[in-house]
Amino acid sequence: MLVTITRPGLVRLGLCKLPPFISRVSLTEASNQKKKKKKMTVTNSGIQYAVQIITKHFGNLVAKVCETLLKSGPLNLGALIRSTALTPQQVKNSLLILVQHNCVQPFTQESKAGLKVQYMAVYDNILHRLRFAKFLAVVAQELDDDCKQLLAGLLEHGRLTQQQLMDRANQKSKSNSSQVQNAAQDNFIRLVTARFVERCPAPEPLLEEAPEQEGPKKPRSKSAKMAQVSETIEQRVLAAARPMEAIRFLITTNPETDDPSQKSENNSSSMSVGEKRKFDDLDIGEHGSNDKEVILWRANFEQFIRCLRHKACVENVRARHDDGAAVVLRAVLKATRMQETKVKTDYSVPLKMGAIYNEVIDSAAGRNLTKVSVKASLHLLCGAPPVRGGYEGEGEDEDEDEDEDVPYSIDLKKIIELLQNDEVESIVLKRYGQDACRIFRLLTSQSKPAGQFFETDKISVDALVDKKETPKILYKLWKDDYVHMEKLSLTTAKQSQVMVWKVHKSIVWEHVLDEMYHAAYNLVKRYDHEREENKEVTNTPKEKRVGELEKKANRFLGVRKIMALSLVKLDDALMLFHDF
Amino acid sequence: MSRSQGPSALKRKRLDSQSGSLTEHESKLYDAIRSKTDMGMSLQDLRRETGLQNNLFTKAIKTLQAKQLIKEVKNFENKTRKHYMATEFEPSKEITGGAWYDNGQFDTEFIKVVKRELVKVIYDQENATLAEISQAIRMKNFLTVNLSDQELKQILDALVLDNEVLKVVSTGMGGYKAGKECYKCCKRREPNLASMASIPCGVCPRINQCTPDGIISPTTCEYFKKWLEF
Repeated sequence: MLVTITRPGLVRLGLCKLPPFISRVSLTEASNQKKKKKKMTVTNSGIQYAVQIITKHFGNLVAKVCETLLKSGPLNLGALIRSTALTPQQVKNSLLILVQHNCVQPFTQESKAGLKVQYMAVYDNILHRLRFAKFLAVVAQELDDDCKQLLAGLLEHGRLTQQQLMDRANQKSKSNSSQVQNAAQDNFIRLVTARFVERCPAPEPLLEEAPEQEGPKKPRSKSAKMAQVSETIEQRVLAAARPMEAIRFLITTNPETDDPSQKSENNSSSMSVGEKRKFDDLDIGEHGSNDKEVILWRANFEQFIRCLRHKACVENVRARHDDGAAVVLRAVLKATRMQETKVKTDYSVPLKMGAIYNEVIDSAAGRNLTKVSVKASLHLLCGAPPVRGGYEGEGEDEDEDEDEDVPYSIDLKKIIELLQNDEVESIVLKRYGQDACRIFRLLTSQSKPAGQFFETDKISVDALVDKKETPKILYKLWKDDYVHMEKLSLTTAKQSQVMVWKVHKSIVWEHVLDEMYHAAYNLVKRYDHEREENKEVTNTPKEKRVGELEKKANRFLGVRKIMALSLVKLDDALMLFHDF
Repeated sequence: MSRSQGPSALKRKRLDSQSGSLTEHESKLYDAIRSKTDMGMSLQDLRRETGLQNNLFTKAIKTLQAKQLIKEVKNFENKTRKHYMATEFEPSKEITGGAWYDNGQFDTEFIKVVKRELVKVIYDQENATLAEISQAIRMKNFLTVNLSDQELKQILDALVLDNEVLKVVSTGMGGYKAGKECYKCCKRREPNLASMASIPCGVCPRINQCTPDGIISPTTCEYFKKWLEF
């Protein structure tokens, strides 16, 4: 394996492609280990942060169970009890809470001893718990405040039947009129239609053996393999549990089955969050006999993340280009939202000019846009001219009518990537300074995802950084894992070692994400500490806070504000790197 | 610092006639050096390329130097290494370090000034090609040295890396030929990003050593303390 580097001196001598006398010095042990660590899907800091969230929301016991599942992957009840060293009842109760709140997904796996139920932590859903305010804001904006109230109940309780939701709405409005009931019913339908609410996944889906995963790929190291497999298991379980698209958002409109059976169910659990019902599910659930008719609903996190992703894209386009382009992008995304098959889609669903224009002038912000300006924005977003592939039978000549038929698809991945770049660059800038940031941008500006090697001197010239400073800056970046370095030894020339550098984006990005989890954990931890320190102040009634106490109270107010805001922003960044 | 190249044509003629009186080895050596124009050649490379015996080689070098056909120049990358160049050429920027080095020192202040001026020019013109920028800089006449287009481009590329300037390719609509490279100023973005960089942990040099109950921990952190001072 040889590395091609373009170094002025070498090119001059016709040695651009390194001849065999240049050998690659093996990487240091440390950097090898670092690499391996990065392969894990969820990092230690990520787990630490997730456990912190669960501890704050559900207490230590539940957190212990959750942590064990996050760290060791899917486990059955027996194994879970053994590894947590808790009583069976404690583990069971914890699991009930976690399942109820969609943080754990049970599944059935065939083993020698027959079918066995395993429990798997759903990492993403745990992190979503801190985003409920954002999800509610999305609904308030897209639908209205009543829908938001309804969703709030679902978020609070994790999973509810439609009837439980209706009852809750009734209780909230403190009147039991049929009007309220009807309005709540309508709002529920709106939430489901907009796919903000979905049917809960199957309680214990059967996970079939992975077809070729454990096949011939022997040489991979054990740890890497484990990470790989567990990742696929998570995806496979979630896919197996997800209701078919056809019924995922289907509301049974049959009032007879809706009312009596579910009401009786409710009475027994007396609105206690539906935990009781779920409890039955766990115990007898294997053959799932008694609750065939009961349909549980939950918030569809996927749709919320999709909305937030779209929003981030639109805002980025607004910041980089103009309002017009942002309006057009929003219209395209709004029109195609339902057709998107996954959240992290690379391109927006292709849409023709006519449909886009209709959607644009439908929105308040786009009412005054002309077709020409919309087209200009589209060209800006898609990179003109748009792809014509797959539409045969159309001539090459550029007719206006034909333009109508050209579907536009916007590269969303690129927009997200730019946002991610901004975030990482801002860190590099703040930590290592302007010169380092320029170098980092130079190394990341390469189209190859794994980066391209640059020789130290070339970096100095291209990034216009002092030749003497360049190696020092690079060394600092390398030490903190922001750049990757390899030494090439030239065995014939006097100058025997050449260092080449590159930024391996996916590795660095994962590293940044890990630090972000760490930072989020620290923020929460510090906030708890501050709250504890200021207990005396917050426990004193407002009017009695005078002198030193008042000063302290004001400071704590400031602390709370800045920390809450920082956490909200940091969480945006977490989504940007993990979910978008 | 563009070196004047005007009279070189005249000079070259005279030198060419002179090179006729060289021995076979000398002219071989001279041709090798001259072929590298303003890049010149290091002693080692010369020796390898010509394949001359040591004593002949040294003698030829000396003769050529005495006849003022070649000169020794300092290579800023490696000052101890001997580097030769035909006298008719001035060392290229790869040898001297270019316009950005003043006596071997990186001239940060000078670069700052040039950058500022370039941004001004681009801002005034909204969109500008390298040629237009170069023209505008010459008209402004604010520099005591002339920067070549190549040097200007280097600064522009650095500005692109600084996120101050954007390099765009014309679509052919704005009066430029399609595919022409233009520069324009970046839109000033509101600093709503940088969520990580705006908190202490985002820029903490010790985050790797930070643990909940360790010596470095979020509860005892000095950076946090400073950050939360109101």
